[in-house]
Amino acid sequence: MAVLTFREALNQAMAEEMERDKNVFLMGQEVAQYDGAYKVSQGLLKRFGPERVVDTPISEAGFAGIGVGAAMVGLRPIIEFMTFSFSLVAIDQIVNNAANMRYMSGGQFAVPIVFRGSSGMAGCLAATHSHRLEAWYSQIPGLTVVMPSTPSDAKGLLKSCIRTDDPVVFIEHEVLYHERGEVPEGEHLVPIGKADIKRPGNDVTLITYSRSLKATLAAAEALAADGIDAEVIDLRTIRPLDLDTLLESVVKTHRAVIVEEDWPYCGLGAGISDRITQRVFDELDAPIRRVAAKDAPIPYNKALEASMLPSADRIIAAVRDVLYL
Amino acid sequence: MPIEVTMPKLSPTMETGVIAQWLVKVGDQVKEGDVLADIETDKATMPMKSFDDGVIAVLDRAAGDEVALGERVLVLAKKGEDPKKVAESFAGKSAGAAKAAVKPAAAASANGENGQQAPAAAVAVATAVGPGGRVKATPLARKIAAAEAVELARIPGSGPGGRVVRKDVEAYLKNKPAAAAAGASVSRPAASRATERIPHTRMRKTIAQRMLAAKQAAPEIHVTVDARVDRIVAAREELNKKLAKEGVKLSLGDFVTKAVATALRLHPALNASFEPDAIVRHGSVNLGIAVALDEGLIVPVLHDADTLGLREIRAKSDAIARAARAGTLSTEQLTGGTFTISNLGMYGTRQFDAILNLPEVAILAVGAAEKRPVVEGDQLVVGTVMTLTLTADHRAVDGATAALFLQTLKSMLEEPAAMLL
Repeated sequence: MAVLTFREALNQAMAEEMERDKNVFLMGQEVAQYDGAYKVSQGLLKRFGPERVVDTPISEAGFAGIGVGAAMVGLRPIIEFMTFSFSLVAIDQIVNNAANMRYMSGGQFAVPIVFRGSSGMAGCLAATHSHRLEAWYSQIPGLTVVMPSTPSDAKGLLKSCIRTDDPVVFIEHEVLYHERGEVPEGEHLVPIGKADIKRPGNDVTLITYSRSLKATLAAAEALAADGIDAEVIDLRTIRPLDLDTLLESVVKTHRAVIVEEDWPYCGLGAGISDRITQRVFDELDAPIRRVAAKDAPIPYNKALEASMLPSADRIIAAVRDVLYL
Repeated sequence: MPIEVTMPKLSPTMETGVIAQWLVKVGDQVKEGDVLADIETDKATMPMKSFDDGVIAVLDRAAGDEVALGERVLVLAKKGEDPKKVAESFAGKSAGAAKAAVKPAAAASANGENGQQAPAAAVAVATAVGPGGRVKATPLARKIAAAEAVELARIPGSGPGGRVVRKDVEAYLKNKPAAAAAGASVSRPAASRATERIPHTRMRKTIAQRMLAAKQAAPEIHVTVDARVDRIVAAREELNKKLAKEGVKLSLGDFVTKAVATALRLHPALNASFEPDAIVRHGSVNLGIAVALDEGLIVPVLHDADTLGLREIRAKSDAIARAARAGTLSTEQLTGGTFTISNLGMYGTRQFDAILNLPEVAILAVGAAEKRPVVEGDQLVVGTVMTLTLTADHRAVDGATAALFLQTLKSMLEEPAAMLL
């Protein structure tokens, strides 16, 4: 199996889908002439031409809206935000138009669109360029929200998302772009709405996604040295949530720690914790704990930024807490 | 406006108070300073005084009720207000409005939204039984206990604040004696006594909570010395002869108190509290003296014990012991301790280990002064010897530190003149 970087896996997914379906096109800032701000669209302009790989001005609301309109009349746009921090100026198009169009038109219009791009705390980008908006978008009925953590899942999920007939918010993590991993060639589809157990275990359930998977797996390995057998679940799709996989694990381990790079208040972990508690309250032997970013704007300073992140140490402390150790 | 009177804070650690008895009834005229009720706190029974003049319009709660701090217990009609009308206007609006729900133990906040763990020592340790008598247990522990038909209240909890968790239930089930099958065939003594069930008093609950908290939080060490106290026995006889006309009679315990207070001045590391981020070495030496009562145990405090002479130590020890037995200790007499002495010598106990009185870092267990064989040079002689055991919180106090303190204490007890240095 080929070993690709995360960005190459995404590039391969888009290229394969554009090859397969002539209605698929890519639009965004610097995606064409510059081969992508993060080189995710490298070579696509050359291969598919300027009609299907389209550079835009700095006008997120405008090109997101063009994408929604194009999707309504039968095309399958991929709209790249240089970072999801900039999707904030296009959020009306994503939430009011893309997410609600099928419902508001009584089913007359589907919006098969993928909004994708980087996000997260990626090193000295400071408060306005480090947003994690997964909890915001995941609250919206009508949107699918996907956040892969490995090159293989990135390719398989992006292909599935391009093929789905409803709007998808596909959030990549900037620090993962250079991660390498084995990626199946050709028709590799990862189903939307299915979590993946990245490390099986019996003592505690660790639930995470995207970049935080690395710290979580590191914590699980450190815990294993102490005889604690942690199960690590990678959500992959944030909405719809694969609750069945989570419940099966919690029923086995009786305790859960949720690890998220997002802020704690009204965060993703709060919603997930609620769903678990509603369904299997009687199986819990400890309160569900969350390890999230600290509740403050993201600092520019590198050391301060690192202190905001869920670290293996913080995860280990939370695990020991739910195990009463 | 009528005055809504709420449960006051009568001890520094109380969260609820029990109305032991009402000393007023509806319609009574009261003046500022009048005692309205006796309130049983976690420490002692305290008078609840009125801060205002008026007429009692409503008594919300009956004697025996346990009431949370800040919850209304009565309504006072002020001058010019008709108590009957006040009562009518408050009818139905019973304490609910002013009710400050019994607060969940602070332990619940340990799980911050930030996913940060509160420092363990900052978490108030609650009893396993929460307000209202509900046993703290995880949902899973509850489910297993219900399936096995075991009463949760019988299971000791090992989780935070005494929470019963799965492994506690499983351990209990494993150790549970086989169902009393043999019971019927065993002939019992004819005059067996009836089984008694004694509900926990406030004091018993507090003792249980604090002892458990100490054992859970503090890794303790015990260091023991024998002190030959012949010289103190002699000094005591001498002094008591002189003090007889004043009606003062010093006890051996008073000498121990004096020696401990003096030794603590020289060893401030033992006169300290352990806090999450620091060790606080106290400027004053305030000795807690454990006093056994019929219903439990209380530790009134001898303030600035290092500045007191033996005569004052005797007088003040007498006063606090009397107040403790009468249940009339003041808040001042109950707070501010920096080190505790527990003396079981009067019961003939040779040696025992005391449990820490957190957040103090050490407690001294004093045994009986008794005649024992003592090696003097190469001779075996009879000497009066007392065994002292220091329990110290090893988070704050290391073994050598504890041993050095005991070395000083021993030398002061063996050479009482050293206290004068």
